[in-house]
Amino acid sequence: MAQSAEAASISRFSRTSHRHIKQGFFSRTLPFWLLLPTLLVLIAIQFIPGVFSFFLSTQSFERGQQTFVGLRNFERVFTSSAFGESLWHTLFFLIGYVTLTLIAGFVIAQILNRKLRLSAFYITVIFIPWVLSDVVVGLIFRLFVVPDYGLFSALFANPNIFPPKGISILTTPPSTPILPDVPFPPAPALIYLIFASAWKALPFITLLILAALQTVPREVIESAAIDGADGWRTVRFITFPLILPTLVVALFNLTLSGVNGVGMVFSLTGGGPGTATEVLSYLLYTIGFGRLDFGRAAALSVFMAIINLTLILLALRISRSEREA
Amino acid sequence: MNATLAASSHHVHRAQRRLAPWFFNGAMLIICFLVLIPVLGTVITSLKDQTEVQRNPPVLFPCDTPDGQFSLSACRWSVEGYTRILEPRPSAGTLFGFEYVGRMISVYLPNTLIYAVSGSVLVTMLAGMSGYVFSRYRFRGRRALMLAILAITGIPLLTNLIALYRMGVGLRQTFPGYEERLFVIVVYVGFFLPFSIWVVKSFFDTIPRELEEASFIDGCTPVSSLIRIVAPLAAPGLTSAFLLSFVGIWNEFIAGYLLVGKATLRTAMFGLYDFIGQFVIGYQVLAAGCIMVALPVVLMFLFFRKIFFRAMVEGALKG
Repeated sequence: MAQSAEAASISRFSRTSHRHIKQGFFSRTLPFWLLLPTLLVLIAIQFIPGVFSFFLSTQSFERGQQTFVGLRNFERVFTSSAFGESLWHTLFFLIGYVTLTLIAGFVIAQILNRKLRLSAFYITVIFIPWVLSDVVVGLIFRLFVVPDYGLFSALFANPNIFPPKGISILTTPPSTPILPDVPFPPAPALIYLIFASAWKALPFITLLILAALQTVPREVIESAAIDGADGWRTVRFITFPLILPTLVVALFNLTLSGVNGVGMVFSLTGGGPGTATEVLSYLLYTIGFGRLDFGRAAALSVFMAIINLTLILLALRISRSEREA
Repeated sequence: MNATLAASSHHVHRAQRRLAPWFFNGAMLIICFLVLIPVLGTVITSLKDQTEVQRNPPVLFPCDTPDGQFSLSACRWSVEGYTRILEPRPSAGTLFGFEYVGRMISVYLPNTLIYAVSGSVLVTMLAGMSGYVFSRYRFRGRRALMLAILAITGIPLLTNLIALYRMGVGLRQTFPGYEERLFVIVVYVGFFLPFSIWVVKSFFDTIPRELEEASFIDGCTPVSSLIRIVAPLAAPGLTSAFLLSFVGIWNEFIAGYLLVGKATLRTAMFGLYDFIGQFVIGYQVLAAGCIMVALPVVLMFLFFRKIFFRAMVEGALKG
């Protein structure tokens, strides 16, 4: 409201201004020219490839022949056992990754919010993993568990800690599934992948939650303490509801990065052992560039784009209703 | 009875208050140490030699004497990992008397630097221009356009990669003078632009309009007001867009891996991934590679950390 009034005052001003009447075509259409390069790049790199992916998903590339096959690529992807399996892997990964990161981030942010003298130092140190790339993080974590020689390998191979025979993160296959067709419990490699990913995502989530905690007024917490609320109740009934919007942002952020992240799978496990860490994004890569089946890869990428857009629209709707409330 | 209880609880509270900072500082120090373990472990591994990284069971510090005692004088630190990546060759005409022929230092890192610098300069310029428009002008379709750009933010590069790969192949066949480098840079710009637009716009929103109006009265045209008044004030926002895109492009792996065909144009992240197959048991080389590739952005972060923190919180919450 205030903004539009201001805008109106500017335009009234410009209509009466002598200088502005003499303004050329370029100045009058300035916003368009400023936006044009951005629009061109986004159309070329985001919009056209998106539409093109959709087109490719209806094509078959068998025997060097490109033919229209309708929705058959989707059908073949969705009914393949690799897809079902990687969907489960992605789900287990997401649950572990999101929960672990949110809880750890919340605890660390709570401590940092006590305005310790060294808070700035702590947050800087904690932030280093965020600057590292997925490939570097995957490789670092891989070096710790390479069979026999990794610094943690002896720990994992210890049968007293990991009965019955000890494990080797990169090679131990998943144990026999409890339910048929559901790869649960997941392989040690998938759990290790969760830890590596959470390690990298933790700083950002901690920072987000910390920023939200700092907006919670001190008086509210203090008056709760005077009313006799202990630490846990204060967190549960005061802090938690107040920072819930930020937690939702963090949740969506983690889910999106978890669904789409692929670099760490490349350098940490390469999808293995077997297919135990093949998540959706990695499956997309193996279909598209391992087997050069662009039609089916495009179908899978359309599926992933739909997941992403749904999540984003959901996040937008939630944040808007929060803002209006 | 009651009084003593109250007194003792009061006492406990005071003691708690005095102890609390120590407790929480201690907890944070432990957390910091835990977080840094992977980094420290990698630094230590990168400074071992081939026989040390292949010991079974592994030893953290290569400092044990033959009879199993720890002794600083027995340490066998080595920079073998780094020299095997750098591959220095004596050469007369160069600065240090050596030229470094390792592909990481002579090909991959320079390529990544070119992509990251040119990509993030372009991102910053475009984000500055469109962020200004979204912050200052009201026009039909503005909201829809902003929502579309926000929606794009979440679509991963991976989704478009199949199509971009086919487009790259097509461009190469159609245009003889096709420049692969240019294509990759434009892809990076398209990928990192949407988020930067949001960061920059939120910075422009904090600059009061009155400043611009005053400059109009003083005889500025919109263009000169943008360059002289607004751009300097928006410098922190533009810097953060630059830094975030720089780190993003530097660390990007999958697009560089799939879209770059020529060996001489490959990126550092590709080089690192390639090392996994090349140095199957040269763990010290892999660790040294990680550190060399990560060090520039880590230093950059430590230097500009305040800008990073602010931009990330703004970008995530406003978006």
